[in-house]
Amino acid sequence: MGLRRFVLRRLVEIVVIFFVIMTVLFVLFRLAPGDPVARMVDPSMTPEDARLLMESMGLDQPLWTQYLYYLKNVATGNLGISFHYGEPVSRILMNRLPNTILLFTTAIVLSALLGVFLGKIAAWRREERIDTLMTIGALFCNTLFLPWLALIMIWFFAYWVGWFPITGMISPQVWIDPSAGPIRKTLDVLHHMALPLMTLIVTHFGSYLLVMRSSMLDTLKDDYIITARAKGLDEKTIRDHHAAPNAALPVVTSVGLSLAFSINGGALTETVFSWPGIGRELVFSVSHSDYPLAQAAFLLIAIVVLMANLVVDVLYAYLDPRIRY
Amino acid sequence: MPEAPQPSRKRGNTCDQPDGKHRLHWVARFVDGWRVYRKNTIGRIGIMLLGLFALMALASFIPPWVDPMYHPMTGVDPHISHSTGPSLRHWLGTDFIGRDIFSQLLAGARIAFMVGISSALISIFLGTTIGMVAGYAGRTTDVVLMRLADMIMVMPTLLVVLILAALFGQLNIWVIVLMIALFRWPGVARVIRSQTLSLRHRPFVEAARVAGASHLRILFRHILPHVMPLALLYMTFRVTSAIIIEAALAFLGFGDPGTVSWGMMLQWVWKTGHMFQAPYWLLPPGICISLITMAFYMTGRAMDDVLDPRLRSEETKA
Repeated sequence: MGLRRFVLRRLVEIVVIFFVIMTVLFVLFRLAPGDPVARMVDPSMTPEDARLLMESMGLDQPLWTQYLYYLKNVATGNLGISFHYGEPVSRILMNRLPNTILLFTTAIVLSALLGVFLGKIAAWRREERIDTLMTIGALFCNTLFLPWLALIMIWFFAYWVGWFPITGMISPQVWIDPSAGPIRKTLDVLHHMALPLMTLIVTHFGSYLLVMRSSMLDTLKDDYIITARAKGLDEKTIRDHHAAPNAALPVVTSVGLSLAFSINGGALTETVFSWPGIGRELVFSVSHSDYPLAQAAFLLIAIVVLMANLVVDVLYAYLDPRIRY
Repeated sequence: MPEAPQPSRKRGNTCDQPDGKHRLHWVARFVDGWRVYRKNTIGRIGIMLLGLFALMALASFIPPWVDPMYHPMTGVDPHISHSTGPSLRHWLGTDFIGRDIFSQLLAGARIAFMVGISSALISIFLGTTIGMVAGYAGRTTDVVLMRLADMIMVMPTLLVVLILAALFGQLNIWVIVLMIALFRWPGVARVIRSQTLSLRHRPFVEAARVAGASHLRILFRHILPHVMPLALLYMTFRVTSAIIIEAALAFLGFGDPGTVSWGMMLQWVWKTGHMFQAPYWLLPPGICISLITMAFYMTGRAMDDVLDPRLRSEETKA
């Protein structure tokens, strides 16, 4: 009944799902046309290195032994060496992971907050001009094609007006400069993050706004809102303290449901803005046939999606005490 | 048009009548739905936009027929070998090797419809069938199918197709359509399943069972008509997601090299570094993708209003 048991159950489910994804990926990598060994071992490696790598991945063993090796390697994070970078993929991806999490979480949280805030107002003043405007605006933003918006953002804000850097995450001159303190470095990252963040927020807040609006409209019909009115509470208190918190719950669900979609968007944003994250690494590795990197990046993204789902579920259970699994 | 006499037919639970009247009843319901739909401004705009894009798709056959240099893929203007701005000869200018952007834009509409509708049809077919079977059969079948749906639902479709592109090389446009469909059914299946669950023990289903109807007959003759409107509604949303995923895939450079889609056009602008110099090339494809998505989405939302009486009553509130 308790939250802890619920989390444990979800964790077990997540492990099972991950196991399935991992297995499917293993099968696909062996099934696809071409030589599976060439897919994991860089053809330009010296024979000795290649042999060592093959042994550590069990590539000379029968298939089911390979699978056991593969499980062990995934568990220990030994997923091969990137063809392009010539480094262990786990090291590359662990470098990229914080960047992705930083951009992604900030974007999701901010767009959900913005959606809740605007949706609340739209529902409160339903069918007035401001409501129509917001609904249409949300619809419009929601359907903008993300990569295109990203290009437009760069074109306008970075090239035309020149407020923000065109791509990347840091300016090397700031980070090389020994006199630059942590504040200057943080500001530099924020400066680079502004455009990708804006792109993600603009394309995401719309659906949350619409969910919030319709949920708020439902909530406003509830008895306890009438009670609050009867008590003589002022409108703002009713809106912000009585209706909005309850109405915001479906937004949390919708964040969870749209996570997979947001991850797609995240990968596209990272790619266009050259934000050094996992999504960009995946796109890069696929277009450069860097198979070990692609495989590991995909697995890592799967873990990120699953964990984010768990976080949303727990958040929901925490926010709504009526939910007990 | 003959109208069914029941006043409550909009709610969609009036099928407990002899089989023969089904078709008439369908027509009546459609006419009725259209009447409500027509009043919806958002829906009207959506339909109008879709009509416009359909015209574009049809018109895409004209330019190559006028002059082979207007062919979106292979036609190159013999006098131009770089990107030029709009002119009388090329209404939206030319791309980096002198192909006409306007005819590419028209061809893109055709591809978008093709990808969107065929992929949506497949995923709706899969989703409806799986959802109905899961809801109707219950027990282990239900659990297994829904777990599978959950698992697929958490996967980001675009990235899954990317990985497949990495493994299997350049993907054909139909393979892309199929891939998108295979990963987009779970949402539909969930909705259809819950609808089926609520229908399963309705008197008319029980009656059919007592009368000796087979499971298949109950599913397709008695339950399907009730979940069909919902499936159609979801189809509009699936069309948008298929178009977006294909466009994104093409944008990243993994589209079918034999087709010109809007995503592909954006990729050309971006990759050939014309982003800052050629707004006449950067703007149209993006506007088209966004607008067609919006059109389908608006149509879907308006249909939702038609199907959901609860929302409709909101219009008539004091």
